[in-house]
Amino acid sequence: MTIAPEMTDVHAIVEQVWSSFLGDEEPLLPAYDADGPFGADDAWSSAVSIHGGWTGTVTIELSKNLAFSLTRLMMAMDESEALDDAEVADAVGELVNMVGGNIKSLMPGPSALTLPVVAAGRAAHSSDLREVSRFDARWAGEPVRVSVHSPS
Amino acid sequence: MTQRAMIIDDSRAMRSILRRIITGLDFETAEAGHGQEALDLMEAGFAPDLCLIDWNMPVMDGYTFITEVRKRPEWRNVTLMMVTTESEQGQIVKALAAGAHEYVIKPFTPDAIVEKLELLGLSGKGIPA
Repeated sequence: MTIAPEMTDVHAIVEQVWSSFLGDEEPLLPAYDADGPFGADDAWSSAVSIHGGWTGTVTIELSKNLAFSLTRLMMAMDESEALDDAEVADAVGELVNMVGGNIKSLMPGPSALTLPVVAAGRAAHSSDLREVSRFDARWAGEPVRVSVHSPS
Repeated sequence: MTQRAMIIDDSRAMRSILRRIITGLDFETAEAGHGQEALDLMEAGFAPDLCLIDWNMPVMDGYTFITEVRKRPEWRNVTLMMVTTESEQGQIVKALAAGAHEYVIKPFTPDAIVEKLELLGLSGKGIPA
């Protein structure tokens, strides 16, 4: 049997990260989307891996609009300031770092967390991993998916 | 006298968030993307009263940075606060045993940082909080 984080725990962690750094004005609303809300050319993804007492990968996929919006919020930049890809990768990477680090704390340890890997586009997974938990939501109308993969 | 803080995190976004909190308390700030860069700044003359330190960083992680700072008598008065997603009990104990004074787990609120600094008696203007 695969040990996996509960979806409610993943939801709670994501909500805590979102409200801490992006504010409470705009709620993060659960929004199940079975087909996946992202076109490959209109999404950003980030992932961290956990190795040790428990092994898995935590991934955040989000729309390009959302990636840019949260980057501006985290860096206190206004709409008139241009963003480059490195800044977006940094912000999206820090989000998955926080979500992944807190999921790690729920799982058997001790274990180590990798540095985030970020890409423009959908996340790719090793073929020996299968999805064990997923949280789909919308923030300011834009889609975000947090998923956890573990070896099958 | 204004106190100085060094923010050490490989994420520019996280450094930006912490900088806004810390400068709001009137600290002067410097930033480093990893532990070695922070050590280099300190060697070059930046003398922080407080370091806010991430754990997982490239080049030199936060735990190694703490052990390096604690080897140096001239830096014995620097207050070291971990600010990290690493929340396993064993790692918290390890960081505190190596010389960290406080430990904040991400995500945090600005109030959480301020409260920890108050517990340490730090405020940006050098007056005990």
